[in-house]
Amino acid sequence: MPAARTARAGRLFRPVHRWVWGDLDRRVRKLLVFGEVETDGGRDILRAAEVTPDPLLRRLYLEHALDELRHGHMFRERGAAILRARALKTGVLLGGNPLPGGHGLDDLHVENEPDHRLLAFLHVAEKAAAGRFAIYRDVVDDDPETRAIFEEILRDEVFHMNYSYTQLTRVAPDSYARHVWRARASRLWKRYVRAMAAIAALIGNTILTLVYFVLLPPFAWLAKRAERREPPGWSAVSGVRDDAPTSQY
Amino acid sequence: MKILGISAHYHDSAAALVVDGVPVAAVQEERLSRRKNDASFPLGAIEWCLGSAGLEPADLDAVVFYERSMLKFDRTLTSTLRAFPRSWRSFPSAAKNMLGEKVWARGIIASYLGVPRRKILFTAHHAAHAAAAFLTSPARRAAILTADGVGEWATLTVGRGERHADGRTDITLLREIRYPHSLGMLYSTVTAYLGFAVNEDEYKVMGLAAYGHPTFAEQVRRVIRRRDDGTFTLDLDYFEFHTTAERSYSSKFLDLFGPARTPYQPIDLETTEGRRFADIAASFQLVLEETLVAIASSLRRETGLPDLCLGGGVALNSVANARILNEAGFDRVFVPPAPGDAGCSLGAALYADRIYFKQPDRDVPDHPFWGPAIDPHELARAATEDGQGLQELDEPSLLERVADDLVAGRVVGWLDGAGEFGPRALGHRSILAAAQPAAMRDRLNRDIKFREDFRPFAPVVPIEYADRLFEMPAGGARLARFMSGVFPVRPEWRESLAAVTHVDGSARVQALERDMAPRLYDLLQAYGRRTGLPVLLNTSFNLAGEPIVSRAVEGYLTFRRCGIDVLVAGNAVVTKRVAAPVKSIKEYA
Repeated sequence: MPAARTARAGRLFRPVHRWVWGDLDRRVRKLLVFGEVETDGGRDILRAAEVTPDPLLRRLYLEHALDELRHGHMFRERGAAILRARALKTGVLLGGNPLPGGHGLDDLHVENEPDHRLLAFLHVAEKAAAGRFAIYRDVVDDDPETRAIFEEILRDEVFHMNYSYTQLTRVAPDSYARHVWRARASRLWKRYVRAMAAIAALIGNTILTLVYFVLLPPFAWLAKRAERREPPGWSAVSGVRDDAPTSQY
Repeated sequence: MKILGISAHYHDSAAALVVDGVPVAAVQEERLSRRKNDASFPLGAIEWCLGSAGLEPADLDAVVFYERSMLKFDRTLTSTLRAFPRSWRSFPSAAKNMLGEKVWARGIIASYLGVPRRKILFTAHHAAHAAAAFLTSPARRAAILTADGVGEWATLTVGRGERHADGRTDITLLREIRYPHSLGMLYSTVTAYLGFAVNEDEYKVMGLAAYGHPTFAEQVRRVIRRRDDGTFTLDLDYFEFHTTAERSYSSKFLDLFGPARTPYQPIDLETTEGRRFADIAASFQLVLEETLVAIASSLRRETGLPDLCLGGGVALNSVANARILNEAGFDRVFVPPAPGDAGCSLGAALYADRIYFKQPDRDVPDHPFWGPAIDPHELARAATEDGQGLQELDEPSLLERVADDLVAGRVVGWLDGAGEFGPRALGHRSILAAAQPAAMRDRLNRDIKFREDFRPFAPVVPIEYADRLFEMPAGGARLARFMSGVFPVRPEWRESLAAVTHVDGSARVQALERDMAPRLYDLLQAYGRRTGLPVLLNTSFNLAGEPIVSRAVEGYLTFRRCGIDVLVAGNAVVTKRVAAPVKSIKEYA
C-alpha cells in the first residue's frame, strides 16, 4: 500500500512522534489541529472545484473535498471524545479561542493556480500526508479508535494520490513530471520560508519584549495616570473631524 | 462623484461604490474569496465593484477608509501601556499586527489602486456606522445609536442625523463611550466563554439564550455596572481582552460563572451543565437589552425624535432591537442590512459624499442587493456536465413547480439576482423550506446546515400577512424588512409554524414587500395558495463555517454536498438525482 511507505525521515523521528502522541493533552491538541487543517484543506479543494473549467476535475475535487471535510470531522470528534473522557489541562489550550488551523493547502490561492499546478501540489502533499499519517497510526497502537481513524484516512489518501497523478498526466501529458518536481521544490521552499518566518518572529518578539520592559515603563506610568483622570461614562467624541478628511488621527 | 468605501484588516472586509450619491455596488470580500469573515485587504471586492460600474481606479474621486488608522494605533498602544506589565505577552503581537499592516492603510490603498494619496480619505469608525445606518434609511431626521466591540476609541456613540430640505445632510455624534467599556466586547467575551468563535458566533449566544433563564443576571450586573447617566462601565477585573490576546475573560470571571465550555463540548440542554450555559447566555442577553434600552430611551428623551437608526455589530442582536422598538419610545427603528464592519465601507463612502463633499442628499434604494448577480447559464452548464436533472422553465411554471416542491417537503436552494450585502440572506441567496413541520428545523440543522440543534430558523412572509401571524408592534414591519427584529409568533400559529418558532415562541421575521424581492414574494403567494399559509423558512445559502454563496456554481456545489433537494438559479431548476456512487467517480483515479 503506497500510504504505508513512510518517509525515511519520518521513521527516524518515530521516537519523537511516539513521545508527542504518548501524552493525552498533546494527542488531543494534535487531533483538534488536524481537524482544523483538514477542514481548511477541504474548503480550499472545494474552491478548486468551484473555479475549474474541467467538469471531470470538478467532480473529483468535490469528492476529494468531501473526504477532507469528513476527515476534519473525524479528527474533531475523536479529539472531543478524548477531551470529554477525562479532565485535561485545556485552560490555556482552549481558553475561549479557536485553535490555530491555518490553511490545509499551505495558504495556496486556489483561484490563481492552473489545474496542472494544483494537481501536482495535491499529489505531493497527499503523498507526504500519507507518510506522516502512517507513522501516527503506528504510534497510537494503544488507542484503537484513533488508529482506526488514521487507517480510514490512509485509504482515502491512496485515492487522492492516485487521482491527482492520473489527472495530472491527462491535463499535462508532456510536462507532468516537471510539475511534480516543481511542486516538491515549492513545498521545500515554503517550509524554508515558514522556518525563517518563525525565527524572525522569535527575534522580533524578543526585541519587542525588551522594548516593552526597557523603554515603555515611563510611558506606562503616564498612561495610567491619564487613565485615572478620565471620567467614567460619556466622553467627547473622538476621531470625527469633518474638516480633516485626509487625517488618520 | 465616484467614491469607493473600504473596510478592512479587522474582520469581514468589504468594498462599496457610490456614484452620484447612490450605491451601485457593495460586496464583502468573503463572498468572492470564499473565506468566512475574510479580513484581508478587499482587492477582489474592489475589483468587482469597479468592474461592475465600468470604472478604473483613476476614475474615482475619492477612496474612503472606514476608520482613522493612526487613532486606532493610539488606542492599541495606550491600552497596552495602561495594562503594563500584564500586557507584556500581547505587546509584541499587537505591535507587529498594527505596524505590519494596519497603520499603513493610506500606503496600502495607494499602492494597490494607484490612486493619488490626496484622494484617500478617512472617516471615524463610528461615523461610518452612523452613516451606514442613517443614510441608507428613509428617515429624514433620526436619532442615531451605534455600538460595537471597538472602533478607534469609541465603542458606543449617540447622535442625530438630519437630511435638510435644501439637500444638506448633517450627522452629529454627540458623545461616546470609550474602550475598554464596550457592550460588543462584553458579548464577545461571553461568546468566547461559551465556546463559540468571537466575531462570528455571537448570534449563537442569542439563540441559546432563549433556552435559558436569566438566573445569573445579578452576577452579570457585577461585571457590567450601570451608571446614573445611563452609561455603563465594565469591571475590568473580570476581563483579560485588554491585556492579552489569549483569553478574553479572567479567572475572576470563571469564579463567578463557573468553568467555561470548550468549543468541542456539545451543548446538551438536558444536562445541568447545558442548562447553566443557556442560563448564562440568557443573563448576558437580558443585561445587554436592558443597557441598550436605557441608553436608547435617554436618547429618545433628549432628541425628541421619533425615529432611531441603529448601527454597529451590536445592532445584529435582533432580540435587543425589538426590545428597543417596544420600550425605548421610538416609533420606528432602522437597522441597515449590513450594520457591522462590512457595512462601514458603504457608510464611509456615503459619509464622504454627503459630509466631506457636501453633495446633495439622495434617497438610497431601500434594499440590500448590491452584490454580484447570478448567472443561470453557469448552473445549467455544470448540472448538464454532471448529468443532474436540469429544467429551464418560464417564470410562472417555475414558481408553481417550486411551490409544489416546497409543499412536498423538499428543501430548495434559491439563487436570484444580485447577492445581499450583509450577513442576512433576504431572498436572493436563500435556502427555503416549509415552515410548518418542526422536523424540518431538525433536518435543516442536521443534514443541510450541519450545525447545532438549538439553532432556530427564520420565516419570510409577505408583509401583508406579517401582523396576522406575528405580534408585530407599530414599526415592527420596518424592523423586519431586513430580518432585524425578533417578535412573538401569535400563539394560535405556533404549531402551524413550528419549524420557524423558537423555543420561547419567537421568530426573527422577514416581512417582505414585493418591490424588494418580487420572485420570492410571488413564490410565497404560490405556496400560500396551496397551503393557506404563505410563510417559508428562509435561511442563508451556506453551510456551517462557510460564507453565503455568491455564484451559481458555488450554490451548485453546496447543493451537491448537502441535503438540498432542488436548486433554482434564474430560470434553471436542478433536481437532485441520487449521487453517483463514490466508486464510479473513483474509477477515474
